[in-house]
Formats: sequence, C-alpha cells, structure tokens
Amino acid sequence: MTALVVPRRPKGRWMPWTAAGVVVAVTVFMCLPGVGVGLDVAAIARNWQQGALRIGELLTPDWSFFPRTVGPILETLQMAVIGTAVGAAISLPVSFWAARPTNPFAPTRAVVRGILNVIRAVPELVYAAVLVAMVGVGALPGILALVLFNVGIIVKLVSESIDATDLGPLEAGRAAGATQTQINRAIALPDTWPAFVSQTLYVFELNVRASTVLGLVGAGGIGLLIDAVRTFYRYDQLSLVIVEVLVIVVVLDTVSDAIRRRLV
Amino acid sequence: MTTGSLTPGVEALASAPWGIRLDGVSVRYPNGTVGLKSVSLDIAPGELIAVVGLSGSGKSTLIRTVNGLVPATSGVVEVGGRRVDGASSRRLRELRGHIGMVFQSFNLAGRTTVLNNVLVGRLAHTPLWRTLFGAYREADRRLAFEALDRVGLLPKVWDRASALSGGQQQRVAIARALTQQPRIVLADEPVASLDPPTARGVMDDLRRINEDLGITVLVNLHLLDLAREYGTRMIGMRAGEVVYDGPAASATDADFAQIYGRSVTAADRLER
Repeated sequence: MTALVVPRRPKGRWMPWTAAGVVVAVTVFMCLPGVGVGLDVAAIARNWQQGALRIGELLTPDWSFFPRTVGPILETLQMAVIGTAVGAAISLPVSFWAARPTNPFAPTRAVVRGILNVIRAVPELVYAAVLVAMVGVGALPGILALVLFNVGIIVKLVSESIDATDLGPLEAGRAAGATQTQINRAIALPDTWPAFVSQTLYVFELNVRASTVLGLVGAGGIGLLIDAVRTFYRYDQLSLVIVEVLVIVVVLDTVSDAIRRRLV
Repeated sequence: MTTGSLTPGVEALASAPWGIRLDGVSVRYPNGTVGLKSVSLDIAPGELIAVVGLSGSGKSTLIRTVNGLVPATSGVVEVGGRRVDGASSRRLRELRGHIGMVFQSFNLAGRTTVLNNVLVGRLAHTPLWRTLFGAYREADRRLAFEALDRVGLLPKVWDRASALSGGQQQRVAIARALTQQPRIVLADEPVASLDPPTARGVMDDLRRINEDLGITVLVNLHLLDLAREYGTRMIGMRAGEVVYDGPAASATDADFAQIYGRSVTAADRLER
C-alpha cells in the first residue's frame, strides 16, 4: 500500500474563528457607552422586582375574562381570512407579471417589482394607522392593511419560485404557438400552484399574528382588546389573550402543515 | 416500450405537409456566438430528415430557426412557402401552430394531467377566455384523445405527467405535437435522455408519424446508427455549416468521420 499524497491545505483563507472573533468584537464595541447604544446593565438589578410582579400576573391568566375575548378573537380570524383571500387573489396574476419566465417584457416587470418594493417597505402598522384615519376605526382598515401586506409577501415569494422554474415546458408552449398569457395559464400555473398555496397559508398565519398589533392603532381585532387591558395594567387578562392567540397559531400551524404535506 | 396502436380513422391528425426552405441563413446570438453560417437547405414535404452533428455544431439552432424560436440574423426561412423570418409575433404564433416540436427533456408541465399537457397543442387555435377557464372545445379534446391513442397512452390520460416514465413522457410530448395537426414536426434530440430500447420506441413513433400521416419530420440525433436507420435523408452539421447532405441509409462511417471531424467510436452508436 503506497502512502497517500494529500495536497497541503491552502493558506490565506478566512478561518471560522476569525469571523466569530470579528462578530464578537463588533458587538462589544456597539455596547460601549458613548460610541454604541450605551447599555446600562445595572438597571436590570435595580428594577427586576417590578418586572417580576408583571411576570407573576402573566403566569396567572384571568380565565373569567374569556367571554369578553370571544368576539374580538373571531373578528381577528375573520379579518385574517378576508385579508388573505383578497390578497392572494390579487397576488396570483401580479406574481406572473413580476417573474421573468412569465413576463419576458422587462419594462413592465420593472414597474411591477418597483411598486411591490414600495409596498413591502412600508410596515403594516403604518398602513393601518393611515387607513384608520381615512376610513375610520374598525375591521375595514385592518383588512386593507393586511391585503397590502399579503400582496407584498406572496408576490415576492411566488415570483421568486417562478424565476427558479424550468423554462423547458414554457418553451414548448411557445413552440406550439401559444401567447404568453396562455402559456402562463396552461403551463406555468399548474407548476406554480403548490408554491402559491404554501405561501398563502404562510401569510394567513402571519395575518393572525399581525392583527394583534393592528388593533393598537384602532384597526380592529384582538389588538384593540390587548391595547385596552394593557392600558389598565391587567396583565392577568392580557395573559389570557396571549394564550388564546398562541392556541390559534398552533392550530393553524398544524392544519397548514397537514395541507402542505398533501401538496407535493 | 409499448408501440402506439395504428388505429384507423385518425386522419384528423394529418394535414397537407409543408416543406422547409432555408436560403443563406445565418444566426448570431446576442453573446456573439455564431449558431449558423449561411445555411441553405431545401426540404420537400413528407421527408424524414436526420440532422446529425456533435453538440455545439448548430443542429439545435437549425431546428429552432424553422419555427422562429431562434430568429435568423440574416437570410430567408420559409415553411410551406410562408416566411418565418421577419414575421410579426401574431403571424409567428399562427405558423408555429402548424409546427409541432419535441424536446430532449420532454418539457411537460409535470404537475398537471397528461390531457392538459396534450391540449397545449391546441392553444394556437383556442381563444384566451377558453384557456383561462380551461374550457377546451370538445373537438380539441377529441384530437387530444386520438393523439394519445396513437402513441398508446390513452389509458394514462388522467395521470400526472411527472408520474410517467421518461419514454412515456416523450410519447406524451409527441401526442402534444400531433394534437396541433402539424404540417411539420421538429424533434430536438428526442431520444438523448432515454435508454436504448425506449429510444427505439420513440423513434418508431416518429417514423410512423412520417409514414402514416405524411408529416415532414426534422429530427436531431447524435447517434449515427439511429440516423442511418430512421432518416430518409441525412444532413450533417459542423461548426454551424452543412457539411453533408445525402441519403441516410447509405451514409458510411467515413461520412460520419467527416461530419464529426474525428473517427467514429462505439459511443456514437445506440447499440454498442
């Protein structure tokens, strides 16, 4: 048996611990008072008792508060369903306009993508605040904010999955004399469908979570209730609401996971 | 490996074949690569042409200039006496509607049914609203069933395309081309992804399309025994030029050596 001649490992490469060292150094630097955010770690020691009190209340949910939460929770779910459905319906054609294989014409693609970048750059809370001013307090501004939020996410993710698709079947459609719209409907859509359904389920979960925040600016749902009980320092009631949201999110996660597994 | 049953009464799939004429056609890709150098060809209606050459020789470009998937940089391309070069996109779609195409990688939409894939062959003759609602005409569906029957895959009509074997997928692709009631069928390396027996079955299908329906067939191959066996005429390509044009059956190994620019090896044959 002859000895193996292993080539020497090349030098001058970044070692993982070098990178880790840089990350640690930068982080510590950012914490220094004066240059960075100025962390006052001692404040934790001074105030921990107040925090402990709150945590204690959060750990003892006020179950008698349950009847009052049912209505807002249902409103949250309704907002999420409507927002997802409308957002998904808008997103499907827009996704095809935003992807290269299904829209070879660069200028319209650039316009669609530009608009979507703007839509995504604005936080949903800002949409909700502006829309509450425009259409008044309630579920409607919340739903509209969710629709914008959903279109931004679904189109981004679905059009990226179209961009990564196999171009062969689309070429076959072109060779058969089909128009781009026909190709998109007859060939691209069936292959995009699973990604679309999967992303729609994902934003549905996000919508349930988001509506806990939207209520803070008066855009309906369970968030309104969260804002109210928080204002009165009823952390035991707040705790119940959080538990309910948690239960809903876990259920949705399980259900959408089951659906996704059947998508293939 | 089933061969399609020759059902009588499928003349619906046949229509008067078209010839192909190329006159001084050159193709230069945007990146500067030259695909074709002043190629002139005259193909009569009903011929089965085997185009041979190494990869990069311009076979794929040649076949794609016929239906305009690759536009000719200069020269004249005609199918059935109709100009392909310089045609408007609408006119091009209309011409493509008469020209079926089969690809090396089958190019089916994997997640939808065999039927939906075959119906893609009717898109050039289907209004947009029918496409959007998936409401194909009854006559179009019948054409699709007949084409599938011809390649022996009617029992698979409701299966997902991706659930079929490679040979079956290529047959579905042939059925898709047939559903166009094509006057020409182009096949770009149709058997390069298939094992030898399956390759033969697919080549048999193409030959039947040519012999029974009279459709002009232009097929790219890189295996010389298949070219010799199936072609009525052979065109050899090298570096974007036609370097051989003659009967396929009598082409010798020396002819192939001249086309390939090297001596013929066992790897150039389907059966070693």
